[in-house]
Amino acid sequence: MGRIVLNGVRKAFGEVEVIPPLDLTIEDGEFVVFVGPSGCGKSTLLRLIAGLEDVTGGEISIDGRDATELPPAKRGLAMVFQSYALYPHMSVRKNIAFPMRMAGLPEGEQKRRIEAAAKALNLTDYLDRRPGQLSGGQRQRVAIGRAIVREPSAFLFDEPLSNLDAALRVGMRMEIGELHKSLATTMVYVTHDQVEAMTMADKIVVLRAGRIEQVGTPLELYRTPHNLFVAGFIGSPTMNLIGGAEAERHGARTIGVRPEHIASGSPDGAPWVGTVGLSEHLGSDTFLYVHGTGLAETVTVRADGEVPLRHGDRVGLTPNPDRIHRFDAEGSRL
Amino acid sequence: MATQHSRAAARLMISPAVVVLLLWMIVPLALTLYFSTLRYNLLMPGANPFVGLENYRYFFTDPAFTTALVNTLLLVGGVLVITVGGGIALALLLDQEMFGQGIVRLLVIAPFFVMPTVSALVWKNMFMDPVNGLFGYIARAFGAQPFEWLTAAPLFSIILIVSWQWLPFATLILLTAIQSLSSEQLEAAEMDGAGFGSKFLWIILPHLARAITVVILIQTIFLLSIFAEILVTTGGGPGVASTNLTYLVYIQSLLQFDVGLGSAGGVVAIVLANIVAIFLMRMIGKNLDA
Repeated sequence: MGRIVLNGVRKAFGEVEVIPPLDLTIEDGEFVVFVGPSGCGKSTLLRLIAGLEDVTGGEISIDGRDATELPPAKRGLAMVFQSYALYPHMSVRKNIAFPMRMAGLPEGEQKRRIEAAAKALNLTDYLDRRPGQLSGGQRQRVAIGRAIVREPSAFLFDEPLSNLDAALRVGMRMEIGELHKSLATTMVYVTHDQVEAMTMADKIVVLRAGRIEQVGTPLELYRTPHNLFVAGFIGSPTMNLIGGAEAERHGARTIGVRPEHIASGSPDGAPWVGTVGLSEHLGSDTFLYVHGTGLAETVTVRADGEVPLRHGDRVGLTPNPDRIHRFDAEGSRL
Repeated sequence: MATQHSRAAARLMISPAVVVLLLWMIVPLALTLYFSTLRYNLLMPGANPFVGLENYRYFFTDPAFTTALVNTLLLVGGVLVITVGGGIALALLLDQEMFGQGIVRLLVIAPFFVMPTVSALVWKNMFMDPVNGLFGYIARAFGAQPFEWLTAAPLFSIILIVSWQWLPFATLILLTAIQSLSSEQLEAAEMDGAGFGSKFLWIILPHLARAITVVILIQTIFLLSIFAEILVTTGGGPGVASTNLTYLVYIQSLLQFDVGLGSAGGVVAIVLANIVAIFLMRMIGKNLDA
């Protein structure tokens, strides 16, 4: 009931083509995250699905029905906006009731759904307040409540957590995840934060300049990035991308090794030996930035949290040979 | 650092300005109040004895007073209805993307720059005149009898003229208010299934409430004292059909040279303006609280 298929969807603003023809299938019940740097067209893509922007070419079908020309309200989708877009002059109750009132649902049914949504989202005590009297997290929940009561075939989220502080963001991330588990409804989620993408998604769509770079589960993207862009975008801290002679030794133009796949130890016999520059001690891990290894790039290494290395220490680095990603001159995976 | 000394010095420094402002306001008001209690007619020079509230009694019992009071309220109310309604409609139109947007906006705002006497004369002679006016010409083109605006419907004609002058002001304020509405809210309403009517009623109109309040308050202040438009078109007539309080004060103090009676009328007008202001603030002032 929430299968969305994009077929050759294209979007141009005047002369500028922001999304070249693109195919994508979102299966029913999936949590799909569009991720990419700002300006990559991920929000535009979401707005095309929502119907807030008209496609320049191609087709969108929802539940097997052609929805390309349908107005937003008729697509059976609900959207949560980055700014929440709550109606400031209405109480929380009226905000949540608004889509149902527009649909002409009977009063009793409206009331029942509002109560249910408020209970699920911990909003029962706030139903008679105005959005201006709520905190950021509560406003977010009201926006989600307004989406839930419509019982849509899919939810669309446009960077919903970017206005929240870090602690709230983690909490809301979990709430949205649980909501997805309990509703089992298709969700399409746009973010520029790869951590959100990795933690929430069933399927990640990595976008760059309107093009899909790779589609896959979080672990697929982590294990086998198709190209340099995905390799550099997924994972934190980012993958070490090393060119030059070292790459040629592996028969590639560029090789990539994730910081967590490099062992640090004594300088004797290690393939790369360098000096610790900055070391970030997070408690659970330590990130070492090692230079002077003879490689052009500074190498980031994730070491044990209590590793006794400090600025200026000599250290030997051994990359895990099974975890070296090789890329050709075009940046594609070998 | 606001110490005792610096605060005293600050008060000393601003006191000349405060004193000037106070005199500027208090002296004319006090003089008006004073004159309103004198028998003071320029046609009868000599002693100006104190007569208490006699002038007020004359003013209130003047047969023109009730008409003028009603006319004043009709004029203010009529212009407000037309300008706020028309202003919202024009603002919605001007908010659309269209060819020549800048020029159209400039043209809409233009009437505000035409001075009241000129615009009233233009309306009187070029539009409403049954012989030379455009409306008369149109009526004749359809074979109808030209409507004699200023004699048959004098107050309504003045309401039209004043509305034309104030429409740009309302449009301008309401347009900026519409432009400040977040597009995500409109998009959210659209996703929620609201058509144009519902969007206007539930999203745009509540968003405009504060701007509408400002328009009504500011316009009321100016509309209570409309004068030039009446002077150059109907002269308050026929009879007193288009005389408002301001014009009545003018008739009595300047045409009849009765300073005392005119001052009393002025004081009555001040009181009336304050009553209207209190009602307005009660009714719609709460919109101004955030």
